Amino acid sequence: MSAFSAIGDEREVDRDEFTPGIEPQATWCPGCGDFGVLKALKQAMPEVGRNPDEVALFTGIGCSGKLNSYFNSYGFHTIHGRSLPVARAAKLANPDVEVIAAGGDGDGYGIGGNHFMHTARENHDMTYIVFNNEIFGLTKGQTSPTSPKGHKSKTQPSGSAKSPIRPLSLALTSGATYVARTAAVNPNQAKEIIAEAIEHDGFAHVDFLTQCPTWNKDAKHYVPYTDIQQSDDHDFDTSNREEAQQMMFETENKLYEGEVLTGRYYVDDESPSYQEEKQATGEMPEEPLAERYFDEDYEWERTADSLLEHHK
Amino acid sequence: MPEDLNWAIGGEAGDGINSTGKIFAQALSRAGRHVFTSKDFASRIRGGYTAYKVRTAVDRVESVVDRLDVLIALTERTIDENMNELHEGSVIIYDGERTTMQNVEIPEEMIGLEVPLKRLAEEAGGAIMANVVALGAACEVTGFPIENLDESLEKRFGDKGEAIVENNKKAARAGQEFVQAEYDHDYGYSLETTDNDYVLLNGDEAIGMGAIAAGCRFYSGYPITPATDVMEYMTGRVDQFGGKVVQAEDELAAINMALGAARAGARAMTATSGPGIDLMTETFGLVATTETPLVICDVMRSGPSTGMPTKQEQGDLNMALYGGHGEIPRFVVTPTNISECFWKTVEAFNLAEKYQTPVFLVSDLALAVTEQTFAPETFDMDEVEIERGKVVDEDDIDSWQNEKEQFQPHFPAADGVSPRTFPGTSGGAHMTTGLEHDALGRRTEDTEVREDQVEKRERKVETAREREDWDYREFGDPDADTLVVSWGSNEGAMREGLEMLAEDGLDVRFISVPYIFPRPDLSEEIEAAEQTIVVECNATGQFADVIEHDVLERVDRVNKYDGVRFKADELAEEIKDAVAEETEVSA
Ligand SMILES: Cc1ncc(C[n+]2csc(CCOP(=O)(O)OP(=O)(O)O)c2C)c(N)n1
Ligand code: SF4
Ligand SMILES: [Mg+2]
Repeated sequence: MSAFSAIGDEREVDRDEFTPGIEPQATWCPGCGDFGVLKALKQAMPEVGRNPDEVALFTGIGCSGKLNSYFNSYGFHTIHGRSLPVARAAKLANPDVEVIAAGGDGDGYGIGGNHFMHTARENHDMTYIVFNNEIFGLTKGQTSPTSPKGHKSKTQPSGSAKSPIRPLSLALTSGATYVARTAAVNPNQAKEIIAEAIEHDGFAHVDFLTQCPTWNKDAKHYVPYTDIQQSDDHDFDTSNREEAQQMMFETENKLYEGEVLTGRYYVDDESPSYQEEKQATGEMPEEPLAERYFDEDYEWERTADSLLEHHK
Repeated sequence: MPEDLNWAIGGEAGDGINSTGKIFAQALSRAGRHVFTSKDFASRIRGGYTAYKVRTAVDRVESVVDRLDVLIALTERTIDENMNELHEGSVIIYDGERTTMQNVEIPEEMIGLEVPLKRLAEEAGGAIMANVVALGAACEVTGFPIENLDESLEKRFGDKGEAIVENNKKAARAGQEFVQAEYDHDYGYSLETTDNDYVLLNGDEAIGMGAIAAGCRFYSGYPITPATDVMEYMTGRVDQFGGKVVQAEDELAAINMALGAARAGARAMTATSGPGIDLMTETFGLVATTETPLVICDVMRSGPSTGMPTKQEQGDLNMALYGGHGEIPRFVVTPTNISECFWKTVEAFNLAEKYQTPVFLVSDLALAVTEQTFAPETFDMDEVEIERGKVVDEDDIDSWQNEKEQFQPHFPAADGVSPRTFPGTSGGAHMTTGLEHDALGRRTEDTEVREDQVEKRERKVETAREREDWDYREFGDPDADTLVVSWGSNEGAMREGLEMLAEDGLDVRFISVPYIFPRPDLSEEIEAAEQTIVVECNATGQFADVIEHDVLERVDRVNKYDGVRFKADELAEEIKDAVAEETEVSA
């Protein structure tokens, strides 16, 4: 039994529990794709059987970062680009807590890109949702790392000279063990993918296409969409790295040609998570360290003599 | 003043200087002698001059001096580098058979001992033991019974097998016997031993040990001189107590990880030096406004920019006090010696948790690379108290909920301190943010709520100011006309300097300040003195500025920014000069 009473509570969970008591008025624009993430996340929670007191949601800065204002849990709104290190350390301190990080494409693939690469590489057991609207929303429509080549904005008036980042490919090469893309326009798939990502043991990356009608594309641009698992045109094995890579490459190209492909791209259930690996080498306790610390009867005295002996 | 011996081994980085020096220091410590070590080094791993220096006495030694009595020189440059410290009668041990050492000239007034270190080592079982041969020779010169070396050799080479240990003992004796047979100087040293049993550790190790003793169970860092030893010390040790050390991809990740672990319920810390502190700055405000306890350790080195990575400076005081945009409530604690590195670390964790603020633990290179002996009782861990502050579990969560049963992480309590819960606690779910927020942690720009929250955060500092001790440490003559004030690692040199000054007829009151914010009020002390001199290792006098601001009066300054710490004799001279100048002015 955990010293943390909410953990492992077997009761039925209702999605409404994730709506904050006094629901603040959502400040997202009408038609914003961010609503789709919120809804999918709320729907996924009862499915994975987690209650608000055992979930920690870490967000970055951007329109996307407002997610935890509308989602009841242990929410921590960090700073621009840094949600991943905060989140993954919370997971290390208490692996029993369900840890989710979320933020925008600028936040995660730009300013926080190094953390994305390394959190994936180390395969931390957590879920990372990137609200990919191909733009800086909050700061009013500047070019982001996922804006297509030639994209014009106030900061790139003659069009972006650079090809966009390939988020799915980057996740895969970095070491993520679950990589998917979904879209706000496809709520059913979005809910399923988020639930799968949460249940996955390892770093699960969901590139979530969220339209930004105010500064970029509206929802129309993301329909029709294709679910690659449902389509006969795309037959590949999600546990095969090379095939996954091929499919991602195609998906990333197609998005800028106007064809929206979504679904699961890579699922590796074999590789151990960071935590599993460190526990195997004895560098991480079996018992959550937050819990050990929480225990008031903990015998601190034991630290004494063994430490001093080394210095004699 | 202690009857001291100053000994050193120097050569090129990569020559095993550190480990050889440490064997000797440890042998002295085990033989019940006090030791104070220091290092000269370049940041390159191979190819630069480096030296390990040991000052030893039966009484405590608190600093280094400008005097070298016995030097093992593996390179000619080692002799040149130390020429100022060598004196009449200094002994220089070197291998005259080494091709690069054949033309070495030892000044006439010194004693040069040519010992074929490599050849004797080969005879004892391998050239690799040449430094140990030199240690044996040093035992002979200093009158230090060679048996004392044996245990240190066992400790150092024990895991390589008994044969290796025995060969090393043989090598040491070969060095000793060679000197005995070939030279018959009277060196005049006889290193007495005592029954005392000391521990020998440096400031980084003391911080690491203090952290573990204080219940720190999560450390994240990114390697940087001279803070790396904190991380390396905790690695493999904190694990034994259920903790975790993480090497992050950069300092941005390091501090943010420590923050995440703290949110989840662990006592957490990160340590770095100048360039790393710069990268961490944005997170200071996040830690403070979300009211998360965090210990941020800065082991200062010389700046700006990459500066002199292996050199001393106390240049980050302003950074610790003011770093980060906006107004960030914080505490700044600056240990003044190695044992205080332990105790102030313990205190830093308690302050962080009681007041839910970032605590800057500011140490420096001089403390980090110095090893000093202490009686083991100095680190009596039963004295370590862990105060977790207002952590709320499910049983008393309702007393911190509002009428809608929502937990209030930023409740503006009278003392400013609000309750804290960790993820997993029933009824505690709440959000918080780096945006200004209300009691519930929801963003707001409401002018009244903003004022409430700013005031509540400031109130914590005021509460701490009243509830905690922010005392200084005092030495010397409390009634003296001359008052010397310093912070951080200068304490040792100044304490010894006091004795030297007293011998010269100058009485001084010395105040050593371990808290920069909040800090002790020195108005009365400064008022009572004729002259106040602030001593620090930086060019601009950052602490002197702070004191002038406090007392609205000018103080005199002694600054050092050449990259080398103060030495006792040198500091005593500087103080004398400052006093003389003042006397001239007022005459
Ligand atoms: C260090 C720092 N630099 C810049 C900003 C300003 N800023 C806030 S959000 C943002 C970009 C947001 O874009 P994205 O991450 O894609 O999020 P979105 O608003 O599109 O959801 C920027 C540049 C900041 N908050 N912090
Ligand atoms: S600016 Fe764009 S991303 Fe931001 S809330 Fe409005 S629609 Fe959504
Ligand atoms: Mg965006």
